[in-house]
Amino acid sequence: MKTVIETKDLVRKFGEAETQVTALSHVSTSIKEGEFTAIIGPSGSGKTTLLQLIGGLDEPDGGDVLLSGTNIANMSGKQLSDFRRDHIGFIFQSYNLIPVLSAEENIEYIMLLQGVSAAERKARVREMLALVGLEGLGDRRPAQLSGGQQQRVAVARAMASKPDIILADEPTANLDSTTGIALLDTMRDLNAQLNMTFVFSTHDQKIMDRADRLIHLEDGVIQLDETRQS
Amino acid sequence: MLSLKLAWRNLFRNTRRTLLTCMLVTSSLVVIILVDGIMLGMIDVMVGGITKTLEGEAQVNRKGFRENFEPELFLSDPDTISLALATDARVAGHAPRVIIGSMIASPYNTTGGLVYGVDANSELGVSRLKEATYEGSYLSGVKREILLGKLMAELLEVSLGDRIIITAAQVDTSEITQALFRVTGLFEFGPEEMDQSLAFINLSAAQPLMGMDGHVHQIAIRFVDPEDAKNKSLPTLINLNKGDVEALGWLDLQPSIGGMIEMSSYASAIVGAVLFVLTSLGVINSMFMSIYERIYEFGVAKAIGTTPRQIITLVLLEAFLLALMACAFGILIGYLASSYFESNGIPMGRMEMSGVLLDGNMYTQVRPYQFVTFPIYVTLLTVAAAIYPAIFASRIVPSRALQRAL
Repeated sequence: MKTVIETKDLVRKFGEAETQVTALSHVSTSIKEGEFTAIIGPSGSGKTTLLQLIGGLDEPDGGDVLLSGTNIANMSGKQLSDFRRDHIGFIFQSYNLIPVLSAEENIEYIMLLQGVSAAERKARVREMLALVGLEGLGDRRPAQLSGGQQQRVAVARAMASKPDIILADEPTANLDSTTGIALLDTMRDLNAQLNMTFVFSTHDQKIMDRADRLIHLEDGVIQLDETRQS
Repeated sequence: MLSLKLAWRNLFRNTRRTLLTCMLVTSSLVVIILVDGIMLGMIDVMVGGITKTLEGEAQVNRKGFRENFEPELFLSDPDTISLALATDARVAGHAPRVIIGSMIASPYNTTGGLVYGVDANSELGVSRLKEATYEGSYLSGVKREILLGKLMAELLEVSLGDRIIITAAQVDTSEITQALFRVTGLFEFGPEEMDQSLAFINLSAAQPLMGMDGHVHQIAIRFVDPEDAKNKSLPTLINLNKGDVEALGWLDLQPSIGGMIEMSSYASAIVGAVLFVLTSLGVINSMFMSIYERIYEFGVAKAIGTTPRQIITLVLLEAFLLALMACAFGILIGYLASSYFESNGIPMGRMEMSGVLLDGNMYTQVRPYQFVTFPIYVTLLTVAAAIYPAIFASRIVPSRALQRAL
């Protein structure tokens, strides 16, 4: 399996002088295609920062992030936007759907950015809604959906662009246990079916139980990197 | 289409704020339409005051005559000029005049003034002397008729039927000549200067009085299309400008009015600029509030690959739709308001500007461009006002915007 994510000596600091905090300290790791990886650790351990750096949402103070062999530090802002759009899907803790668009339109939006034709967009929206088990609810706006349904739409949106990697930050944090399990099972199925790479930052034991690999972060340093049999 | 839908729906996330901003833009458009309508109405009154009261839309004079009204500077061949004007389809009417600077005396008082010798019938097509005659009767061609301005009659303490002696110097001999007239009518043009210093007698009486039989000092012209008077290359005027004869439109005859018209258009521009600045600030404020409310969403949008340019486009599209909505209301309200004041006028009281009387109501003028050009300006400026907030939104750093989640 090829390596799709590689970090080399990643350093990220926040604040200045006495108030400076090192969020990540020389983090080097790699994630292979199709892995279902969970970055775990206590609050403030640097999970979200690592995910942000991998996703190109933040710039490191040192080190490199290579996605499919490409160093994102060498990309312009536009190239990075395009790269994120075409290769990375994001799932957020608070769903973060666009409230004025329906579930279908939220999923369609990213494909619109990609310049996908209207007919293909419609077809892919139907496909994604079916994948996440939301057939018949496509015309509802986020406020008309439950938290679990909204997060499913977020998953569908993340996958609609056919990304290589899906980065998910605490995706089950706002969901009840049953809904969380159902969503994780959906994502696990998608991982298995489509060989999509999933990287989670999480505290959730349910995710840890389903992950192929657990990266333990503490104080910005990888303490343990364990690969498990799924 | 989805972007348009998104922009439209974004507008109504906070309906109250959108409507308030919309009202601000709408109000500006309505005010601009009304101010322009009022300015056009005012210019119309001013130009009408000049051209319709007495001066005519154009005049033929000997060069230098209008400077001091020297009686010697008469038109030596008025018949040729009159014939040219009578056969010109662009000319609606022309009126020959003798203008005499003279002493006007009653049994009780004396004053100086300008006595116009006019052809009663020709004058009907050029000036509003007949309409301004509020007491007695208009000139009928009888030899000793004289019309006095209201204020002059008061000064001379005369009324209808009283005697007036005109004393002037004859053109050829400079000998003093006098003639007796009887007040047959009183007129009121409005401007104090005119009502105090002008008197009108028949041309047939004025020419022998001045010893200038067959000659006149001035021929006033009214055009079929009043715009012709502003056309400096109009053949009618060009052909008459020969030798020491000059034919000028009212803009050249009254450069101060031209200046005032120009100034009034500046005034419209200044009012427009002030309104647009205020409106722009309102739009900027509203757009910023809208962006701050959605800062997290913009972070998400950027995270999933929306480019800064696409975010700018979205914000500008929202501003564009807001402007369109505001313009739709503005056009409707502006039209209704302007049409109302076009019919009923705005009470302005009585005032005199540059010798022109503005009396009673000011009627606005409704013009199609007000409902096309101004909305286009308003739309462009609203979109322009949104550029700064749009750039701000495009520069939102996703990691900072998403601090609470990813």
